[in-house]
Amino acid sequence: MATTTAPTPPPEAPAATKSPTAPKKPKLSKRRRREALSFYLFVSPWVIGFLVFLLGPMIASIYYSLTDWDSFTPPQWVGFQNYVTLLTDDPVFWKALWNTLFYAAVSVPLGLVLGLWLANLLNKQVRARKLLRTLIYLPTLIPLVATAMIFRMVLAPSGPLNDFLGLFGVSGPNWLYDGPWVKPALILMSTWGAGAATVLLLAAMKGIPRELYEAAEVDGASAMRQFWSITLPHLTPIIFFNLIMGLIGAFQVFSQVYILVSKGKNPAGYDAAQTMVPFLFDQAFSYYHMGYASAISWLLFLVILVFTVIAFRTTRRWVFYETEVK
Amino acid sequence: MPVDKLQMSRRGFLGLGAAAGVITLTACGTSSGGSSAGPLVMTVWGGDPDRKTYQARIDLLVKKYPDLKVKLQLIPNDSYPQKVQTMIAGGSGPDIMQVAESVNTYSSKNQLLPLDDLAKAAKLDTEQRFGPVGSLYSYEDKLYAIPDRSGAVTVFYNKDLFDKKGIKAPTADWTWDDALDAFKELTVPGKQWGYSGAEWWPQWWSLAYQNGGTIIDESGRPAVDSDEVVEALQWAGDLVFKHKVVPSKADYADMGPDIGGDQAFPNQKIATHANGFWVMSGLTDAKFAWDIAPMWRGEKQAVSAFGSGLAISRTSKQRDNAFKAIDFLTSPEAQQQIIASGQDVPANLEVQKSQAFLKPSWMKTDVDMGVFAESSAFVFRAPFIPEWNEMIDTISNGLADFWLGKERSAKKALTAVQKDLEALIKSGS
Repeated sequence: MATTTAPTPPPEAPAATKSPTAPKKPKLSKRRRREALSFYLFVSPWVIGFLVFLLGPMIASIYYSLTDWDSFTPPQWVGFQNYVTLLTDDPVFWKALWNTLFYAAVSVPLGLVLGLWLANLLNKQVRARKLLRTLIYLPTLIPLVATAMIFRMVLAPSGPLNDFLGLFGVSGPNWLYDGPWVKPALILMSTWGAGAATVLLLAAMKGIPRELYEAAEVDGASAMRQFWSITLPHLTPIIFFNLIMGLIGAFQVFSQVYILVSKGKNPAGYDAAQTMVPFLFDQAFSYYHMGYASAISWLLFLVILVFTVIAFRTTRRWVFYETEVK
Repeated sequence: MPVDKLQMSRRGFLGLGAAAGVITLTACGTSSGGSSAGPLVMTVWGGDPDRKTYQARIDLLVKKYPDLKVKLQLIPNDSYPQKVQTMIAGGSGPDIMQVAESVNTYSSKNQLLPLDDLAKAAKLDTEQRFGPVGSLYSYEDKLYAIPDRSGAVTVFYNKDLFDKKGIKAPTADWTWDDALDAFKELTVPGKQWGYSGAEWWPQWWSLAYQNGGTIIDESGRPAVDSDEVVEALQWAGDLVFKHKVVPSKADYADMGPDIGGDQAFPNQKIATHANGFWVMSGLTDAKFAWDIAPMWRGEKQAVSAFGSGLAISRTSKQRDNAFKAIDFLTSPEAQQQIIASGQDVPANLEVQKSQAFLKPSWMKTDVDMGVFAESSAFVFRAPFIPEWNEMIDTISNGLADFWLGKERSAKKALTAVQKDLEALIKSGS
């Protein structure tokens, strides 16, 4: 961000390169230095915050992940014992990892497709467009606790959703208590937030030049063809952004699980849907295995890193940046 | 501003937020320990009514000892353990700290001050002041907390529904069969249930101990697969799935979000409900007649109690003052506030037997408050092991399918739980 200061002093820049004499330089850089100073001043809260509250703790957590530490008594060095136990001797870890992968693998693409579909609909010249846009974005503004309450009612054994399914002769499951149905219930709740992606995609759609569509129409391209050949390629950067953010968010899903299927009130549901961060949280703050929890967090970091790298590696093949067109 | 920054950095670092979250809380706690001249810091959990009651007691304390200053920190129930953990890990633990079942998580890790010597110096006889509860918070023969609140599970029953069916009120002499008969009478399928259920540990453990079982045996080993415990759990499970006199999970979920016995009893959906004192707060506007009775019995009498004690953290710089405060806060004078405000049952026996407790001013109906003192004679001692939180989670996870009716055999469910508990509790102390 700060490098954008470069274009502001255009007259000085060439002057500095032209003049070989030394005394001129400090005179010119006085303003530069002031600028640099204010740059560092403005950026310092972030840098200090990063070093103190993120990098420091991160490095500390590497150390703690190699210890047995209950957070009260001094840590005991155990080497890679925590990692070994997690990977070879803790079925809960693998279950939590599987649950997390399942949740991410379904909820992220589903959210994207839904967002794209909604954005495409809202981009059409329909009546009450503005109202519909508001309505679709509104759910993302509702606090999670309230959302969870609504969903607990909707997903009740004789709740509206199962009543609706009953119309088609389907007897719905006991969503939040019946093991295999808890994850689908969580995913269902995640689609509630599709409005956030919709807004971004809609904004991007508005930015696509009209001429492209006009040209396509002249060439006789159908609406479907226009969507696949013009709209979608132009949206890929936004889709990519949403994909990365969605992946990171999905891997770190916590509050949804903790609130929708709370451990105390619904152990069966919690057990069936436990993901990595709730698992980590329990180990750290309920069982006082801080070293073990640090190890979990690093393994989670690696998992997220791997998936993000994979996503970035594939960008060349499908993400289209207009500015890069040669 | 800071929020934005946090998000930025999280994004930039691909989700290290999780790792950082854990560590930030523990790493940033190197601030100076509590100063010796400052006020005593007292941490308690609860909501606003709790704050008022604790503050009223502290006000009485300061009136009596003007040189003492107490800063009350009320922390919501859910985040209390995390908050206190962070304070202690940072070297500035509270001077006075409310503890309950997980007390020995702290005491076993050498974070609480043994109080025996201080109690002796202050001539505080816990047996005399609190009865058997007096030694509840002991670990390896040392006392780590002074009981503060302590109320047994009591049976709340809907008098109107009982009268309509011509059933006599529950008593301490009811057997399991008597209870089951009454529940059957009181059940209207799909509409009304005889009993709220015993899924929570204080409820089904009461049955297990009534049957002569224990959760952790005397040598410190788990013992949940014993015949006594299995039989008790089977009975409790059969109430739901065989006799259908207790609402199932699905039935509760259909009543609305977050509905359990505490809410269903005031709504007259269930006729009897065994739980703690707090159920009364939902009954102040009840349109029906209700009363409480002691828990029924099995082979013998046994019932769980809910309570909490006050402990002093090892980092406290003002041990003597902290104990002076605890001594006063658990005295009859201060304990009376607990019942006067309707917060809970005070642990002090003298108060439990006083008129102020038996006829609280806020009680609109005639409730047999003597039940609490009566029940305290047969409260069983729950195993407050250092691994308490993990034990409770292991048990509730292991029994999840049982309470859903997917696994109908208590024997099978508890055999699996026993195995998990044995892996968890390695050292028999």
